[in-house]
Amino acid sequence: MPMITLHNVSKAFGDNRVLDGVSLNVEESESRVILGGSGTGKTVLLKVVLGLLRPDNGSIFVDGAEVDLDEPLALFEIRKKIGMCFQMAALFDSMTVTENISFGLSRHTSYSPSQIQSRVDECLSLVGLRGTGDLYPSELSGGMKRRVGFARAIALKPKILLFDEPTTGLDPVMTDVISKVITDLRSELRATTITITHDLKVAFIIGQNISLLHRGSIVASGNPVEFAAIQDPLVQQFIKGTSEGPFLVDSPPKRQRTLL
Amino acid sequence: MTSFVEFLGTWIISNTSSFGDFIIVGMKSIRSIFRRPFDTKYFLSQCSFVGVSSVPVVLMTSLAVSMVFAVQLAFGFKQFQAEGLASQVEGLAVIRELAPVITGLMLAGRVGSAMAAEIGTMRITEQIDALECLATDPVHYLFVPRFLASILMVPMLTILSIYISFWGGHFILVNLSFQSSDFYTSEFFKLISSSDLRIALIKAFVFGVIISLVGCWKGYRTQGGAVGVGAAPTSSVVTSSLWILISDFVLTKLLLV
Repeated sequence: MPMITLHNVSKAFGDNRVLDGVSLNVEESESRVILGGSGTGKTVLLKVVLGLLRPDNGSIFVDGAEVDLDEPLALFEIRKKIGMCFQMAALFDSMTVTENISFGLSRHTSYSPSQIQSRVDECLSLVGLRGTGDLYPSELSGGMKRRVGFARAIALKPKILLFDEPTTGLDPVMTDVISKVITDLRSELRATTITITHDLKVAFIIGQNISLLHRGSIVASGNPVEFAAIQDPLVQQFIKGTSEGPFLVDSPPKRQRTLL
Repeated sequence: MTSFVEFLGTWIISNTSSFGDFIIVGMKSIRSIFRRPFDTKYFLSQCSFVGVSSVPVVLMTSLAVSMVFAVQLAFGFKQFQAEGLASQVEGLAVIRELAPVITGLMLAGRVGSAMAAEIGTMRITEQIDALECLATDPVHYLFVPRFLASILMVPMLTILSIYISFWGGHFILVNLSFQSSDFYTSEFFKLISSSDLRIALIKAFVFGVIISLVGCWKGYRTQGGAVGVGAAPTSSVVTSSLWILISDFVLTKLLLV
């Protein structure tokens, strides 16, 4: 049985149909990368999986349980199995790094303070940030914030990890660091992961399977070798990163005027 | 004409919908009081923020308002040689109206706006989504400590306000209107019964409910980035102040009968 199943999921904001009948199966321990351009509904897809947004149509199952926003207690049980890593980390800015990571532990486990501290140190080690526990989010760089976000997400040892644009806005070196951290976390926790990105390099490093989301639908899927070989013009345009092709809704101007 | 009807209809639907949402979220936060886990540390920090940090503001405003009121009363009653009544009316006005209402309005400005801004910022920066992803109900975690701190601290600050106002009136009527201190003290409490203090505390309790729920709700429903975060505290202060004044009238009418 797949760990995550989306069946014919649709979501619109007003007239803007962001997800249009998306169906997706992610198997246990699989690392799935979902590629797509900006504004194609990638983050919305993660939010419907988490039950943060109610889909207009379709159903979502996580580890066999249906995500139902009208059942808040069942929804919280599902969320305990998921670690979410936000695009901008979404750290609690009035708390230290340690307090951020221990938040879920102190609320959902019966760990003693020393056990919590030990788990926090363990999580910080996994993301390569040992010794930063007393810092506040405002004292961290962008890459460090993302990694603290990862540490917070893995603290409760979730079965599933969701990464929303984990490398956006980072320099190439930090992008590689984050990619390695994600790969290490997945192998360490044996977790099922969905990573949303538009960074091809990251996608091919961490993904066992890659899907392309375009205008609210999954238009292509496959393992990295298969995906790279798909001859669909949409996929090839995205892989090559050219502006000419069917990918853009609004085509770019043919030539640029010289500004006087 | 059509556009006016359309505007009016949209306005009515929008406000009815907002009020309904406020009631639903408010009831949810009241029900959440009895749910575990109870975050004692967070509750105490809110008590400190709502109560201890508000002491200077309540002290200054209570002192200023009671002194101005005493000056006006002394001047007014002097017109028909009834200066002695000034202390009695000062006591009545302070305990029944001025202390709870001034405390409520000041806290709506200081505490309610801060709640709206803090929670609004959390909404915009996805911190509330992060709470939900950590299997934590944001209404339970964010609303309950603020709500409990407010319904506990606003009545306590009202008692402080009454005490400070007593000395504000004392300063004016004893030092400037030359009443004796004993006379002022006995006259201040002459028209007051224990039910008046009870009314003041009931009002303060209700104002605490309004300040915390409106502040939290305005923050929780913030949208639209920096503009939304800027608008939430303003809207919170205006709405809370309005409801404090309306509920003051209703409670006075109900409780004095």
